[in-house]
Amino acid sequence: MSVRQLTINILLALALTTGAAVAEGFSDTPALAERVKSGGLPPVAERLPEQPRVVGGDTIGQYGGDLRISMARAKDTRMMTVYGYARLVGFDQSYNLVSDILESFEVEDARIFTLRLRKGHKWSDGAPFTTEDFRYWWEDVANNTDLAPLGAPIFMKVDGEVPTVEIIDAQTIRYTWQKPNPTFLPRLAGPRPPFIYRPAHYMKQFHAKYAEQPALDAAVKKRRMRNWASLHNASDNMYNFDNPELPTLQPWFNTVRPPQQQFIFERNPYFHRVDGEGQQLPYIDRVLMNIADTKLIPAKAAAGESDLQARNIFMSHYTFLRKAEEKKKFKTLLWNTALGSKVALYPNMHHKDPVWRELFRDVRFRRALSLATDRDEINQVIYFGLAQPANNTVLPESPLFRDELQTAWADFDPDKAEELLDEIGLDKRDKDGVRFLPDGRRLEIVIETAGEDTEQIDVLELLHDTWLDIGIKVFTRPSQREVFRNRIYSGDTMMAVWFGVDNGIVSADMSPGEFTPTRQIQYQWPKWGQYFETGGKAGEEIDMPAPKELFDLFRSWRVARSTDERAKIWQRILDIHADQVFSIGIVCCTKQPVVVSNRLKNVPREGVYAWNPGAHFGIYLPDTFYFANAVK
Amino acid sequence: MFRYISHRLLVMIPTLLAVSALVFIIIQLPPGTFLDSLIAELESQGEAADPNQIEALRAEYGLDKSQIEQYFTWLFGMLQGDFGFSFEHKRPVSELIGERLVLTFVVTFSTILFIWVVSFAIGTYVATRQYSVADNVATFLGYLGLATPNFLLALILLYLANQWFDLSIGGIMDDEFRNQPWTMAKAVSVLQHLWIPVIVIGTSGTAGMIRRLRANLLDELQKQYVVTGRAKGLHPRKLLWKYPLRVSLNPFIADIGSILPDVISGSAIVAVVLNLDITGRMLLEALRSQDVFLSGSFLMILSLFVVIGTLLSDLALAALDPRIRFTGGTTR
Repeated sequence: MSVRQLTINILLALALTTGAAVAEGFSDTPALAERVKSGGLPPVAERLPEQPRVVGGDTIGQYGGDLRISMARAKDTRMMTVYGYARLVGFDQSYNLVSDILESFEVEDARIFTLRLRKGHKWSDGAPFTTEDFRYWWEDVANNTDLAPLGAPIFMKVDGEVPTVEIIDAQTIRYTWQKPNPTFLPRLAGPRPPFIYRPAHYMKQFHAKYAEQPALDAAVKKRRMRNWASLHNASDNMYNFDNPELPTLQPWFNTVRPPQQQFIFERNPYFHRVDGEGQQLPYIDRVLMNIADTKLIPAKAAAGESDLQARNIFMSHYTFLRKAEEKKKFKTLLWNTALGSKVALYPNMHHKDPVWRELFRDVRFRRALSLATDRDEINQVIYFGLAQPANNTVLPESPLFRDELQTAWADFDPDKAEELLDEIGLDKRDKDGVRFLPDGRRLEIVIETAGEDTEQIDVLELLHDTWLDIGIKVFTRPSQREVFRNRIYSGDTMMAVWFGVDNGIVSADMSPGEFTPTRQIQYQWPKWGQYFETGGKAGEEIDMPAPKELFDLFRSWRVARSTDERAKIWQRILDIHADQVFSIGIVCCTKQPVVVSNRLKNVPREGVYAWNPGAHFGIYLPDTFYFANAVK
Repeated sequence: MFRYISHRLLVMIPTLLAVSALVFIIIQLPPGTFLDSLIAELESQGEAADPNQIEALRAEYGLDKSQIEQYFTWLFGMLQGDFGFSFEHKRPVSELIGERLVLTFVVTFSTILFIWVVSFAIGTYVATRQYSVADNVATFLGYLGLATPNFLLALILLYLANQWFDLSIGGIMDDEFRNQPWTMAKAVSVLQHLWIPVIVIGTSGTAGMIRRLRANLLDELQKQYVVTGRAKGLHPRKLLWKYPLRVSLNPFIADIGSILPDVISGSAIVAVVLNLDITGRMLLEALRSQDVFLSGSFLMILSLFVVIGTLLSDLALAALDPRIRFTGGTTR
């Protein structure tokens, strides 16, 4: 993060906190007033931190109501951690990092991070939230050989080195690495953040170092766990909301033990955010999460049984939803998405057949495939013209975006494609017009799909025709997710079809990991990614110049010390991608329907529905959503 | 009698052992383990799993042991009433199953009752009026019922119920009654929703049962004693009720053994489509995510029901029809 941006953030934090001081006297929901009166709960001023975070939606809201949402599986209770979006630092709606749970933070040299907590901040059970909770996680969990047999998690390491952790006082903690760690803060702001703290007061009852041995043994036996470590690990998941007893900092917490068909989330009476008038958030008292099969979720939304729903709803349901809008009193908004490409093809650089492997590694071949793809036609036929023909790269919303990234080698130009193929030496054809490989086999590519998305198969249908025109025959092979992946990993697959990059709205400070060979799940070069992920224990070393350069750029991005420097590296990475066509993106910028009840206010009409950054609804702060005429 | 029952009970032991081995092998057949499905699922949502953490989990769940070792651990556990541990829900399997058995019984029992009542009424009616309009209509509808996939029927009924009666989409009760103690209102809500799954699961069974009853009854009606009875001027209704109908009722009892697995497996898909919180749905999810012990134990319990159900139906049949004797291998 640049110094300038940092100063802005600090100023912003100051402005917000002084704003809070002006709005004297905090208030809270009538739903809690009863408990305060009976003495079961301290008054709101004592429950809030001294300096709460002031946030605001478009309008000041009113308290009350139950927000109904539908999820596909009992496991999806975790989505409330995503939507709740209480993070140490979080992205605001313009994707700047701002402090949320933290009162403020300072970064020196991209490697020394000083985090300052809010004084008086409390867990959802009323126990104080202090640096002890950070210390407990770092010393007694992350570095405990029983709980973490493989040592501290990867995200805390920079080139294998762990930070020095200094606890300065009950509210201040400092992490120092020897080398820059630019991903630390963006990771903390992610939809599934690494939780570098735990409610120590609660977790200690499961920890051999703190708990009484007989009581701990009894608890292990009662829950049928193997040992205290598995009991601890099963109880301390801050992300999943699968343990109703675990204190949290999120706006709502789960009260029902999974698995169930309905989960009830109640408001966290100690939540640290207030609105502009000093009303403690969230406005909405409870969130009711109903579990229903994925195919029923659109139907439930259309029947008015969800107040806020985007998950498991797709463009293909749009007309159906619009039809039900009036009768069931909701609106269907269309939000942008962040996928770099809705559909992308991945030629496998590790294919087992040497002839094909050489071909896939030949940039001319990849360019020819891209040029022979009629993206416009696909957009018109399959996406009603609502998408946009594009490479698999960053989106216009990203500050790194340039037009040519999306359009390089992406025009429909079959003549040029044929020229390229002839140049490679694939100039002989059989009587059907299909070209021959150098060893005499026909040029037939099998494209595998995970068999889940019919849209991908439709795209391949159209692709089949235009590729056949330049002499390439396409076969489609649907399979099943795990098989699909394992075949790619082992080099059995020639080409795979999948989504494009997850995050097309990147900024220079976000990791270019998705664009460089650093992960096994990158379907064009899984073995190179695996090599990096496992520190060279598995996979293969990169043996192609352009991917090697991408990887080196990734390394230099990691140690870059300024945003400008990082932006330059990013541009080079994106240029290489556009030029080398490592994956063939088809269309981007599809829309996400979002069903919103007419009673639900403060939900932005236009937004970006993205996993990271964005946490789906998270950055729009659902705690500021409220029901008009809530008392029902 | 006693020898027969004890013999049948003893035969159950090797049957169930064979089932347990089969179940375990088949569940493990798809490539990968629970952890692979977990990783795949995380990735599909843009989340990445930490490889180190996965290794640690593999050891914790005992997935690093050989399959044979895993099987015998599970088997011996079951003999002591311990059905193992669900990876996905991080809870003992017995707790999870127990919570769902009541509703499963309600649905299964209502379905069988539905099959009996409807097919008895229609079957008797059409058999006595062979090739009449009513017979042809019922036959047509019956074939339709046999041929329509359950999930389609479920979706159609779901839609109509929502449009006409304003019933909530899916679920065995309205959402607001979930996690609430049982009250009159809740029971009413359950009854309001129960008819859809009962009809859907029961349709094909009913259609089959009507055909069997009709065929049996037609056979009986042509026999000499019926003709004699009719010639002697016996009242037609008495003639029908006294003998032919009773004789042709055998499939009602005899088929429990085959209806039970039908209803239970049929309810799995329907439970998913209709979002019912019964065992079938959880079974399917457990199979998908390769939660071995949860799905395995489910299947074992269901097989146990089927084996016992078959025995009971055989006993009931013998009690009902004196022509049937116990010859289960004990006589020469």
